[in-house]
Amino acid sequence: MYSGFYHSVIGASHTAKGTVCQDFSDFKVYENYALAAVADGHGSKKHFRSDVGARMAVAATVQTVASYYADAPAFEESFERDPKRLIRKIEKQIISRWDRAILRHLQENPFTALERAPFSEEEFEDIRTESIYGTTLIAVVYGRKFTFGIQIGDGSMVVIDQDAQAEMPIIDDESCPANLTASMSNSNAIDLFNSFYTMEAPLAVFVSTDGLYTSFRSSEDFLDYHTIIASHLGQLGEFDKVITRNLVKRTNFGTQDDISMAGAFDPQFLAQHLQILRTQVEKNKRRAEMRKAEQAARIQKQKLKNQLRRNPNLQVE
Amino acid sequence: MLDDMDTALDMGDELDGELSFYDDDPLNATGVSRKSLVIFFLIDTSGSMKGTKMGELNTVMEELIPEIRRVGEADTDVKIAVLTFSNSVMWMYSEPISIEDFEWIRLRADGVTSMGAAFKELSIRMSRNSFLNSPSLSFAPVMFLMTDGYPSDDYKTGLASLKKNSWYKYGLKTALGIGKEANDDMLAEFTGTKDTVVHAYSGGQLAHLIKIIAVTSSQIGSKSMTLSDDTQHELGMQDVFESKQKLLGEQIQEIIKSEGYGDVPFDSGW
Repeated sequence: MYSGFYHSVIGASHTAKGTVCQDFSDFKVYENYALAAVADGHGSKKHFRSDVGARMAVAATVQTVASYYADAPAFEESFERDPKRLIRKIEKQIISRWDRAILRHLQENPFTALERAPFSEEEFEDIRTESIYGTTLIAVVYGRKFTFGIQIGDGSMVVIDQDAQAEMPIIDDESCPANLTASMSNSNAIDLFNSFYTMEAPLAVFVSTDGLYTSFRSSEDFLDYHTIIASHLGQLGEFDKVITRNLVKRTNFGTQDDISMAGAFDPQFLAQHLQILRTQVEKNKRRAEMRKAEQAARIQKQKLKNQLRRNPNLQVE
Repeated sequence: MLDDMDTALDMGDELDGELSFYDDDPLNATGVSRKSLVIFFLIDTSGSMKGTKMGELNTVMEELIPEIRRVGEADTDVKIAVLTFSNSVMWMYSEPISIEDFEWIRLRADGVTSMGAAFKELSIRMSRNSFLNSPSLSFAPVMFLMTDGYPSDDYKTGLASLKKNSWYKYGLKTALGIGKEANDDMLAEFTGTKDTVVHAYSGGQLAHLIKIIAVTSSQIGSKSMTLSDDTQHELGMQDVFESKQKLLGEQIQEIIKSEGYGDVPFDSGW
């Protein structure tokens, strides 16, 4: 019934340095829902196992959502009654699963001398275990009765509604431009989660790590990109390769960061709205050209105004 | 269609910091943007700047643009925003302008020094909803303050509001005092450290220092966030911000020492 995709491409800067991809992504499809998730391990010095943390955050999400959908009718009924409470419970369980998973990983894989080497004994003792595995997490669940998403840390979620309008339901946290604190590893992680839900079936939902968003010049372009992808999902087999190659280009020419993207949709439902999507893609193209022209005109106007200010006798045609 | 994709990289075209690809990949309709950096210049245009100071400043800023352009040539789209303050505050352009399109507008000096108002205005504009709305903004901004006197308004309130701004916290801050009236201690309140405050006592020094500071801070500001340390792990973002500010201070102090600015008599020059 559902379909989707996931891709993680290693950042150009990581390739150059020979470091591993810190992102992880996954897509799962079940009878009653599909799930798409991405996680971006922090990757800096003290987060030296964040690639593992990212993988575990996605796994914890897959397991937690599956546990709720084990009794789908009961879960759906509870969710419809009080979505916010249910989402909060899911977030709490994801954190708890992730915490347990990293502790288990640590027990099975004690820190090596190589991992300890960059730190003094004192420095190493000061690093919280959770922080070593620190990661963001963005996941979206496309269900038969509702769709919901959760997010901690930077990255983006895009929903294409039935009118083919793309929207980011969760907005960037202005107070934290570099997203220094929003992480699964924070002791107050539960308070740092953002979420959204809708009872109206979207045409498609996408999640991506921040490497994708930062490869765009404007948020409008970023949203248009998702509408274009949605309009091609009908031929996902072929288009999947196009997405991967585009992500590789984006890391090479953009921020050089790892990029992960995953999406979920209902192929039948999407097919019914294909024409609306295609029309929207064309509209977006025209709007993008208009935006470019308007910006160029604005700059030109200011330049002329400035010339006049400098030389009031100037004749402007 | 897919066979043509591999040729796309060779056919890339650069336009205003945005890379477009002329192939039939439908996703290329939304181009790839290079990493971007905004440099904010906060310039005192009060009456005391009249004459040589403003003349030198205008000339050097005109000359400076091509030099900053070179900083951005590699892989960073540098954008410029200029905020002037005298009786009121005014932006030279209504949005940060890509260095490729930027044209300096000669400034005139008049009125008092509303530096506090400038700090407040900067705080408002350094936001994702305003001047820093580009997704490709990968680097914390560079802020360069130039003044020749003491603020005539309540700068402390303005600075307090600016200090709450996260972009300010993690941005690179530097200041240039022009002439003997400029107060280095007050400028250090803005930069957070004395190492990134310098003083010009003559027209020649002013020109030279503006160029050095602007180019150095742009270069350091646009260094990749993924600076590596000797462990081959990336530094944390907070570490990167702190390292950059420290590096800027060290480089500026080194240049000043090597060029003997410390030896210039306090009351010479203007």
